[in-house]
Amino acid sequence: MSELRFEDVTVRFGRTTAVDRVSLTVPAGTVVGLVGESGSGKSTLARAAVGLAHPESGSITLGGSPVPHRGARRPLQMVFQDPYSSLDPRMTIGDSIAEALPRDVDGVRGRRARREEVARLLELVHLEPHRARDLPARLSGGQRQRVALARALAGRPDVVIADEITSALDVSIQGAVLNLVRELQAELGLSMLFISHNLAVVRYVASRVAVMQGGRIVEEGPTAQVLGAPGHDYTRELLAAAPGRKPA
Amino acid sequence: MTTTPTRVLADAAASAAPPSWWEQPWVRFTARRAVRLLVSVWVLVTASFAMIHLIPGDPVRGALGPTAPAALVEARRAALGLDDPLPVQYLHYLQGLVTGDLGTSLLSQLPVVDVVGQRLPATLALAVLAFLASVAVAVPLGTLLGVLTRRGHGRRTELVFTTSSIVVATIPDFLIGVALVYVFGVELGWLPVAGNASPEAYVLPVLSLAVGPAAILARIVRVEMVSVLEADYIRTARAKRLRARRIHLRHALPNALTSALTLGGLLLGSMVAGTVLVENVFAWPGLGSTIVSSILSKDYPVVQAIVLVYGLGVLLVNTAVDVALALLDPRSMIREG
Amino acid sequence: MARDDTRARRWRAVLLTPVGLTAAVLLVAVAALAVLGPVLWGTSADAVDTGDVLAGPSPEHWAGTDNLGRDILARTLVATRLSMVLAVCAIVVAVSAGILLGAAPYLLGGRAGRLVAAGVNVAVAFPGLLLALFFAVVFGVGATGAVLAVGLAGAPVFARLTQTLVAQVAGRDYVSAARVAGVGRVRILLRHVLPNIAEPLVVNATIGAGSALLAFAGLSFLGLGVQSPAYDWGRLLYDGIGALYVNPAAALAPGVAVLLAGLAFNLFGESVAKGFGVPVLVGTPQPRVRRESTAVAADVASASEGGDDEAAADVVLEVRDLEVAFVTAGGTVRPVREVSFDVRRGEAVGVVGESGSGKSLTALAVSRLVGEDGSVRARRLRFLGHDLAAADSPAQRRMLGTSLAMVFQDPMTSFNPTRRIGRQLAEVATEHQGLGRADALARAVDRLDAVRIPDAGRRVRQYPHEFSGGMRQRAMIGMGLMGTPALVVADEPTTALDVTVQKQVLELLADVRAADDVALLLISHDVTVVAEVCDRVLVMYAGRIVEDLPASGLATRAQHPYTRALVAAVPHMDTDLDRPLATIPGRPVDPAEVPAGCAYAARCPLATARCRAEDPPLEQAADGSRVACWHAGEPLPDPVVRPADELVEAP
Repeated sequence: MSELRFEDVTVRFGRTTAVDRVSLTVPAGTVVGLVGESGSGKSTLARAAVGLAHPESGSITLGGSPVPHRGARRPLQMVFQDPYSSLDPRMTIGDSIAEALPRDVDGVRGRRARREEVARLLELVHLEPHRARDLPARLSGGQRQRVALARALAGRPDVVIADEITSALDVSIQGAVLNLVRELQAELGLSMLFISHNLAVVRYVASRVAVMQGGRIVEEGPTAQVLGAPGHDYTRELLAAAPGRKPA
Repeated sequence: MTTTPTRVLADAAASAAPPSWWEQPWVRFTARRAVRLLVSVWVLVTASFAMIHLIPGDPVRGALGPTAPAALVEARRAALGLDDPLPVQYLHYLQGLVTGDLGTSLLSQLPVVDVVGQRLPATLALAVLAFLASVAVAVPLGTLLGVLTRRGHGRRTELVFTTSSIVVATIPDFLIGVALVYVFGVELGWLPVAGNASPEAYVLPVLSLAVGPAAILARIVRVEMVSVLEADYIRTARAKRLRARRIHLRHALPNALTSALTLGGLLLGSMVAGTVLVENVFAWPGLGSTIVSSILSKDYPVVQAIVLVYGLGVLLVNTAVDVALALLDPRSMIREG
Repeated sequence: MARDDTRARRWRAVLLTPVGLTAAVLLVAVAALAVLGPVLWGTSADAVDTGDVLAGPSPEHWAGTDNLGRDILARTLVATRLSMVLAVCAIVVAVSAGILLGAAPYLLGGRAGRLVAAGVNVAVAFPGLLLALFFAVVFGVGATGAVLAVGLAGAPVFARLTQTLVAQVAGRDYVSAARVAGVGRVRILLRHVLPNIAEPLVVNATIGAGSALLAFAGLSFLGLGVQSPAYDWGRLLYDGIGALYVNPAAALAPGVAVLLAGLAFNLFGESVAKGFGVPVLVGTPQPRVRRESTAVAADVASASEGGDDEAAADVVLEVRDLEVAFVTAGGTVRPVREVSFDVRRGEAVGVVGESGSGKSLTALAVSRLVGEDGSVRARRLRFLGHDLAAADSPAQRRMLGTSLAMVFQDPMTSFNPTRRIGRQLAEVATEHQGLGRADALARAVDRLDAVRIPDAGRRVRQYPHEFSGGMRQRAMIGMGLMGTPALVVADEPTTALDVTVQKQVLELLADVRAADDVALLLISHDVTVVAEVCDRVLVMYAGRIVEDLPASGLATRAQHPYTRALVAAVPHMDTDLDRPLATIPGRPVDPAEVPAGCAYAARCPLATARCRAEDPPLEQAADGSRVACWHAGEPLPDPVVRPADELVEAP
């Protein structure tokens, strides 16, 4: 396990600056929440980390060295928002997970070993191993999101980035996914960058939280402190706007 | 209402200072569109120049035939500038285009500009008339059918219309032409079947050129109309309790036509090309009959010039469509720019 | 496998339509002819009979003879093979070149990719025939030249199609996920992209083969295609037209053959496209939702105008036994059932539920906005004392247009993109209040001002895309305020908005209510929002109201196990961090598959045999709240003690 560190990262699309000189650290073994409104640059920051967007300047390092975007081992994995578009509809979920297994690591060489590894990962996210033969169409949104988590874990990552992974789910199902995230974190000591627009969700899973606005991080600190005694105007505004703050 | 204004945070961007003139969407749109047109014209000109040089063998020998004396072939080659190095030829070609010199016909020895200028009006008249005819029929028909076959309505009408429009659109224009020639010219003898000497002579060629595109256009308009009628803003219009006629004509039709225009523009382009076949059926004295006879007789300068004219026509039509789109739907300008 | 079932069902759907079947039969016949034609009629097609040239149809020669006395019908049948071979070769050229060019931008990426894409965009603007002529000049007159000409001329269209499809698939998260997992571009193209775009490519290639066939006929007709002594249909047509005045059948036979073969390809391709929901190059595909059904016109029928439970004077909206039904291929679906409630003047009523609970349809039904394929029935449906069951009339439209305001979920799509905001608001006044254009526009400015849109005088002249999301939603509320609404129906009005903007919109709705005693019907999936804004909450599950209670009692006094689970499952700012969140096993009920008994029984920890057999009625308690549960208020088992496996959702 090693820490993920963004230093002075800037990402531009044409003339708009999506991420503006952001520095942020995800310490080993912790869940860092990243909150902000649409267009604040939080997803772009995540995509830059895994190589789906290209920073204009700054560095993104994992355990002190740059995040590798080539080669078989990808120590940084990502789970996406929409469970209906994050699995190939023509591939069984077992194949989808197996695709993410590193090819050069002992224990996952050979067909049989890979199949066993897929089964182990499915069990880890509370899905029955025989589901590996199913196509995504047979799974519910919550189940797909668990498969996406299993696929991310298959890469034996040091850090997982979760981008709004519960916002497309029905309310009765998102609770189970959040519970799973907490459970995996506790069991595996996973480091995670957990992105959400929902303060209450972030509060529930993250021990540290960063608030992003207009491409910049305006406040960062332990969750209880940031949400309990916000130091920045924008954080206060977000907190005031969150519904259910004072139940009627 | 007595309320204190709240801080409008997320709206800040939308109410920011207006951008400077070169950031205005329409300026960016015009600039981009002009550049694209220029690049397309350059590609077209270069392609028409390259055409002759891509032909295997000696085009002049091919044109004059194997029996022509070598001296004549040599002289003709020199006259056409084919012995110069390629870049020089290319420069001369561009120079000629700018000064309106398209070369000389290998066969008739007439300036190509004269040949094209003489033939162009007939083709233009045919294409424009056929386009107007097909739009005049297709838009009302497609709109009406769109309303009749909107969600939850007219399944049978939809099936019959869709199938018949595919069938009609499949019939190639020259077959329609031949059929019309046979029925109205040969059997009935009502209408002239060759040339463009009289107004009546326009009827059959225009008809054979317009039928297929009209079927396709009507189909596009119908599909777009049906999908527009499903849109959220149509539900908003219904929530305003507007009359059905107003919803269909004021809210749905402009949006349907905007979407239809993109495909309609390609259709107009293919109509320009469609004149080639129809002109050959009706011995129409236009560019289409000329290009075919020139290809067969290997009169390359003429072929080159006519390909250029057709291509330019298509590019101008496409530009016109884009401009019309930008005027109808302000968003398309932003997408482009 | 589910996928094979769908595939078989789709093929059945294609082949069982008259058009699809006819096209398939024609296609098979053409293919058989292509194989057998030259074998069966090869000799008679080449038999020269100088004594019988250019003859008309006769019992020996059904379509007459050509200038060498050869039988035209036999020649037409024999020509099938060459015509088909040429068309197929050309389409293979077109599709291969198209896929290469279309996939290149994805594989190359960056500047080189953009250059290829731009080149394709320029080429695709030129009509195929023009390109074919160009290539015909380059490759020379003849069959080979024509194949290359027609093939290359078709390539840009396929390149563009491939490019669009690849871009669509490449933008999906599973491709991003594969990239993050370390899968290379070529491998992604082969494993993820191409399999997912194969269907539309094959369908369009089928239609393209038809076009290629016709294009060959065109080239041959111009004398630029196949040359004697070889002959395809186009060549026969060319010869036949020369003899049109002598023997029309000589042109008719190959003409009909070309047409039938072309139609077979086109109609088959279009049928498959329709059955599989694949986009075709012409137009956009239609939504296929609920298209199978014979449509039921929207009729708001009140079964019995009983005088029971007479409404109190301050009731704005009165709903009794509302039902919305759709007829689908699988039978009648009732996404809204037995819904009864009142909304009083100035009251804010929230409707909460998950996807498929029928909450939005309820809102549309009471506003008379259910699409025309659904049927709405109610024992009683009255708005301000007017019977909404009555047929549409100008008076009723005016009443609804000025007294009932609607706010929809997505402010991006709910305004007409091609009309100025001001015109869209003013329309209400010109249509229902008899105002002139200038007066109506002035009122629009005033109303935009009232919903706190800065610089309203300038904003009315703008288009919707120039407004931000929150501003658009406020303008939508302003549109409802053009009249004098007694009720605002807001369907997920803040779901698409950020929290700070959500707060502004909710505050604006509260102000509108307070100013004129306007009632609010707020539909939302978010319990916390509803609890904050509303006086009373209706909880919907599987099309029914399962609980009706004061919003203040949501956290403490809810009786229905579903309501209680819903409240506990959503983390809020005071959730206990040391305990797992409450979860509801299983997934929401699909309206098409509502089980017998209580629809919630399968997910309910209190469910008994009775729950699975009998649907509990919605009973009213002494305090006016209502609940539909056989075990209302019974204590729930502690979620912590439930084993993890039970949390796994049923498929």
